[in-house]
Amino acid sequence: MSTVNEKITEKIRSEAQRLLSTGEVAAFIGYEAGSLPMSVRPFVARKQEDASRLVWNSFCVLNLANYLPALLKSFEPPRRPGDPPPEGPLPKVGILATGCWSRNIVVQIKENQVDRDRVVIVGVPSRGMVSARKVKEAVGERDIQTCIEEDHSLKICGEGFEQELNRWDVVRDNCKTCVHPDPVIYDILIGDPAGERQVQDRFAQVDEIEHKSLEERWNWFADSFSSCVRCYACRNACPLCYCPTCFVDDSRPQWVGKSTEQTDTMLFHILRAYHCAGRCTDCGSCESVCPVGIPMRLLTKKLNKDVLEMYGSEAGMSLDEPLPLTTYNPADPQGFVLTEKSEKGGDR
Amino acid sequence: MGTTSEKNWEPKIVAFLCNWCSYAGADLAGVSRFQYPPNIRIIRLPCSGRVSANMILDALRSGADGVLVSGCHPGDCHYISGNLFARRRFALLNNLLEFVGIEPGRVNFSWVSASEGEQFAEVVKEVTDKVKKLGPSTRLVKRIG
Amino acid sequence: MSNKKNQQGNTGALSEVSGSVLVVGGGIAGVQAALDLADSGFYVHLVEKSAAIGGGMSQLDKTFPTNDCSACILSPKLVECGRHLNINLLTLSELVSLEGEPGSFKAVVKQNPRYVDPEKCIACGTCAEKCPKKVVNEFDMGLGKRKAIYLKYPQAVPLKYAIDAQHCIWLNKPGRCGMCEKVCPSKAINFDDKPTEHMLEIGSVIMAPGFKPFDPSRLDYTGYGRLPNVVTSMEFERLLSPSGPCMGHMERPSDGKEPKKIAWLQCVGSRDINRACHGYCSSVCCMYAIKQAVIAREHSESGDLDASIFFMDMRTHGKEFEEYYNRAASEGVKFHRARIHSVLPSGENDNLRVRYAGEDGEIRYEDFDLVVLSVGLEMPQQAIELAAKAGVSLDADKFIVTDPFKPVSTSRNGVFVCGAAAEPKDIPQSVMEASAAALEAGRILAPARWKDTKKKEYPPEKNVYSEPPRIGVFVCSCGINIASVVDVEAVTEYAKTLPGVVLAQNNLFTCSQDTIDQMEETIRKEGLNRVVVASCTPRTHEPLFQETLRNAGINKYLFEMANIRDQDSWVHQNEPEAATEKAKDLIRVAVAKVRGDAPLPYNSVKVTKSALVIGAGVAGMTAAVSLADQGFPVTLVERKDDIGGHARKFYRTWQGNPVQDYLASLVDTVKSHENIDLKCGVSVKGVSGSVGNFTTVLTDGTELKHGVSIIAVGAGSFKPDSDSRWNYLYGKNPNVHTLLELDQKFIAEDSSLSGINQTVFIHCVGSRVPERPYCSRVCCTHAIDQALKLKELNPDMDIFMLYRDIRTYGQRERLYQEARAKGIIFIRYDLENLPAVTEEGGNIKVTVKDPIIDAEVELNPDMLVLATAVRPKVDVHDLAKFFKCSIRADGFLMEAHMKLRPVDFATDGIFLAGLCHYPKPMDETIAQAQAAASRASIVLSQDEIPAESITAQVDPRKCTGCAVCTEVCAYNAVSIDEATEKAVVNEAMCKGCGACVAGCRSDAITLKNMGNEQIMAELETIMDNW
Repeated sequence: MSTVNEKITEKIRSEAQRLLSTGEVAAFIGYEAGSLPMSVRPFVARKQEDASRLVWNSFCVLNLANYLPALLKSFEPPRRPGDPPPEGPLPKVGILATGCWSRNIVVQIKENQVDRDRVVIVGVPSRGMVSARKVKEAVGERDIQTCIEEDHSLKICGEGFEQELNRWDVVRDNCKTCVHPDPVIYDILIGDPAGERQVQDRFAQVDEIEHKSLEERWNWFADSFSSCVRCYACRNACPLCYCPTCFVDDSRPQWVGKSTEQTDTMLFHILRAYHCAGRCTDCGSCESVCPVGIPMRLLTKKLNKDVLEMYGSEAGMSLDEPLPLTTYNPADPQGFVLTEKSEKGGDR
Repeated sequence: MGTTSEKNWEPKIVAFLCNWCSYAGADLAGVSRFQYPPNIRIIRLPCSGRVSANMILDALRSGADGVLVSGCHPGDCHYISGNLFARRRFALLNNLLEFVGIEPGRVNFSWVSASEGEQFAEVVKEVTDKVKKLGPSTRLVKRIG
Repeated sequence: MSNKKNQQGNTGALSEVSGSVLVVGGGIAGVQAALDLADSGFYVHLVEKSAAIGGGMSQLDKTFPTNDCSACILSPKLVECGRHLNINLLTLSELVSLEGEPGSFKAVVKQNPRYVDPEKCIACGTCAEKCPKKVVNEFDMGLGKRKAIYLKYPQAVPLKYAIDAQHCIWLNKPGRCGMCEKVCPSKAINFDDKPTEHMLEIGSVIMAPGFKPFDPSRLDYTGYGRLPNVVTSMEFERLLSPSGPCMGHMERPSDGKEPKKIAWLQCVGSRDINRACHGYCSSVCCMYAIKQAVIAREHSESGDLDASIFFMDMRTHGKEFEEYYNRAASEGVKFHRARIHSVLPSGENDNLRVRYAGEDGEIRYEDFDLVVLSVGLEMPQQAIELAAKAGVSLDADKFIVTDPFKPVSTSRNGVFVCGAAAEPKDIPQSVMEASAAALEAGRILAPARWKDTKKKEYPPEKNVYSEPPRIGVFVCSCGINIASVVDVEAVTEYAKTLPGVVLAQNNLFTCSQDTIDQMEETIRKEGLNRVVVASCTPRTHEPLFQETLRNAGINKYLFEMANIRDQDSWVHQNEPEAATEKAKDLIRVAVAKVRGDAPLPYNSVKVTKSALVIGAGVAGMTAAVSLADQGFPVTLVERKDDIGGHARKFYRTWQGNPVQDYLASLVDTVKSHENIDLKCGVSVKGVSGSVGNFTTVLTDGTELKHGVSIIAVGAGSFKPDSDSRWNYLYGKNPNVHTLLELDQKFIAEDSSLSGINQTVFIHCVGSRVPERPYCSRVCCTHAIDQALKLKELNPDMDIFMLYRDIRTYGQRERLYQEARAKGIIFIRYDLENLPAVTEEGGNIKVTVKDPIIDAEVELNPDMLVLATAVRPKVDVHDLAKFFKCSIRADGFLMEAHMKLRPVDFATDGIFLAGLCHYPKPMDETIAQAQAAASRASIVLSQDEIPAESITAQVDPRKCTGCAVCTEVCAYNAVSIDEATEKAVVNEAMCKGCGACVAGCRSDAITLKNMGNEQIMAELETIMDNW
């Protein structure tokens, strides 16, 4: 009996093999096994033989949509400014997409970073990805040599120990609070749709912070962010960050200093999160790649909460709906405005 | 940079005003001689829709103890919808700043029309009072050196 | 008419025709007409009887249905009018006589003395502060006081004080006071000022004298004048206004307390032949009462103000009015269908008791804190006299007579009218007519376009790119306005120390002509390349100083102002030290800003001088002929194979004029006009370009180049055959018709009509329902007129009107009165109790509940006529997409601004007219088409049109092509270039608001001279040393 993920892996391989062999796609973005336990790495299959290297397991935490625009671009002929767009159809790219990744692809399509016609989306309903950090904590930070994944448990072995973990216990926080695990757009669907998940407190982590006093919040963030080394791994892992010159690297204008001093660090994280407002799908890549474990997802999650509460919008749920910051409703809430007495909105 | 212990501390407040309503309202306050505290420095912009989160944060970073952003009432925007797009950006930024522990009252938003001179003076008084109570800004301020 | 193809030459040779126009009345209508004319090549004399322009609109607090602040939207137009090179503003003036013929009139205008030299007055207000004579303030409807020397209102244009000769102590007893002369810092008072007479040579005249609110003091039942807490709506408008007598705090007159319960009584002085002598409906009162109720509730401290409106018929017949009414009702404004018997005192505390009869006839009483009389509009006595001087006829209601097919033409050739002087109407309708009147006034003068106008010439500009900044700072004392608070000398010395400043000087009045001349010389002599003026507000004075820079050969964008008066000395009068420090800061920032400013080009766009008009109904044809007559080539495109549109189905206008004769001559004119290229059976396939230079491709492959576009595609009508709610046997019984179908029987002179014994009309079929919430505006009048026609054919016919509210607005009310006099029976129904229509053996049976007798009524008509809704066309969506214009939720096209830009789209160079905008009758359609043509003429009359200089600019290296900028741009000025996949700004369309800049995450788009780096530099400079 193979596990769910093994069955998915088989199907991914056969679909990728078919797409590559028929030439329908020129490349296929998936994962291959990593060299360490619990590790996988993004992998671009370009030949049909490559398809057999593709894997699917609970550690596929990086959002593959991040690689899509650049890969698509790599198949376009080089062009100087002013050159006409290339004629004829350009090669397509296949990509795996869970719920949140597919929503990121929707945002990328809406923001002209991805041409829907050039992507073959292989949807995979997400069962939630596992946090390697949580696993390590669960085994008391001991050295892990193997991890065997079953449908509902993980068997962790190391020097002198063997421990079985309940899989859900070590699933990432963003996945635990995810309500849309199914891809919203796809061309091929692998596995059974999970359906909308009922989550009691989607924003429990945000609420928890909100319940702290102002002082506590400031101190908590200042402390949590103090270990930031400004490596920008979070930014690099984010499929929403595609500016040619990131604001942190820009000197004209220089909105944020480059040091790890408190103001610079805080401003970096606030602005990075703010840039994702109304666009973030809470895929968790930023936090997953952070070498020092900064909880920067809290900022985007807070924005997601506000966007949902105030504008009834969730990033990437539909191709037709405008992004929340590119539209408005005359009756948008404005209780924060000093001169407005009532919470109720604005088109007087 | 002053400390709270300084008795003579006066807050420094930067205001971003749209040209057509709030800046005009500020002028009308003058024409009508409504007095308000001299703690405010106005930057005149075409529209509140020109105000970005970056600009507000930069004001704090530069050492402003308070920030006021003021535009036309919704529906009155000279550029049709600038303040309506801005309202969403401001609402999200306002909440996010409070979330990370920036004191409510550091960053303020208002709608003041060209005929609301007294309201403009009231808004400045209200913001100045609030910022005075909060004391000098220390969070998100760039420390030199 | 068809023989004379090009009519532009028919007013005589070029040399004889004047290129000037006289506009009488400086309200919104007169101002709009003046601006349209002056912008399209005519010189305008604008005559205003009071000390400032602005008219009734300047007194309003908010405007319906958008609740826009009236002053906010009006002021920019007034300022533009006040400083227009080709508008000669004559305030305190009146027309004395008008002689001559169209093309060459001679007008005598008398200008009364202001006693204040407008060249010297700096509007500091010191005079009014010291003036000992208090006078009732007519601007505040007598609720507040002003001084004998006064500014009409804070945003007045011109912003100059005037002395009220009637009340001034000195003028009445010379030598007695003279306080203003003593304190005036600029020596502007001139007690010897005398009236002057201007002899004006003009080609045409526009009358826009406006209205006067009905004075209810002669209506005893209202209690007005006896009971202090009975106020008129205009008085209440001032009570609500933040610049009014109680600063917008809403205080009732008797005790200054905030009212908790207010009643609005409708139709005071309107629809009342017995008591008020005004039979007409004033059109605007229902809406303004709802607006006041809504705004009053917002103003009330507790937020639970009890607001009741007592009305006969709710007339919310305009665009978005019905929705506004519904919203007000759902938010808690109470509406009582009632007739007011009287307003009585109640108790000791000046409260009021309203005695009224409900719809059922029962007498009821209710107490209120305040009663607002929704007074009607009437023709002012001065306007009646003015009409006599201008030689134009008045109708029985004393309004200026017009013709339904020439809605802005008076009885005298070459004299036109707009606004409420022709019939009570709201602001958008007045603005539309103003543009229409401008079009008509200009059309007969087309050969003399640009003949009388002035054009400013400037010396070549110095190239400053290679020079280090040489900044001059001019610090104004403004008499003592600044200097009495701010230490101007210290400030001037400080300015000298700032980087880049080579000169700083202090002036008594920087804006006085001698200082301006001296500044120009100093710029040249000292080789200044950037200037800062520290004085008052840039909103009023920036253009003046920028002009000075241009005269001195410096680009006008190398200029900044530090507002050390309005935003410093005047608001920190008791803190001179802090004010001085603030002045230094403001100057430091201005200097830093000007250092970073770049010279900007004075952008302009070349204009292709031809028009595309889409839709050949009455609106499209009128617009096409209006442009073609001025010599502009027009392509008129009609989707169908023949032209005429809806009008082909109309029998007569409500005034009784046959439509078909008019239509035939209009069609003839269109078909034979040498400047009109009529294309039938084609539609638009694609559009590119922008104002001045559009390229449109038609379905037949034709490619058109044109400078402007007018959309006049009309509307459809609702057919109640497939809708179960309107199960009225339409399409099933041969005797059930729509209004237009009955009109066709009239046109065909169907003899069977006179044999009909009973006709029932059902109103609002498909209108004012949730799926189509708007009122179709035209049907009440149309149906009643048809009923009257049926009565003409058979006086014995029984006619029943089943209606929800009768909306015979304006003078259409006359038809309603006539119908009732002729025995036509009106039965009201509401949405909950729709009339039921059944059929028995081919006979129609209509049952309806009569609310007055509270019983079911059964009718057996021979003919049933349905007043069906006007419905927007579905295919307008394609057109809207091509032209990037917006469509409202109800399917009608959305104009740039509902009040003040009723025929423009937000995108420049595209205009709209007719039913695609909103349902409207023939006369309003024609006026709107003329208005659209007027707006289009402004573009077409110029070789190049000016464009914004402070525009957005894209850095393609930083741009990701994500298109946030294109989404937030209200003007469609930003788009993603297909080839580069980067954003590009169309400078001709950009208004420089900066929404795109704030929206861009990548800092890839910036605003010239207002970029992020410049704003950051300003911030840094502010915080430095502060």
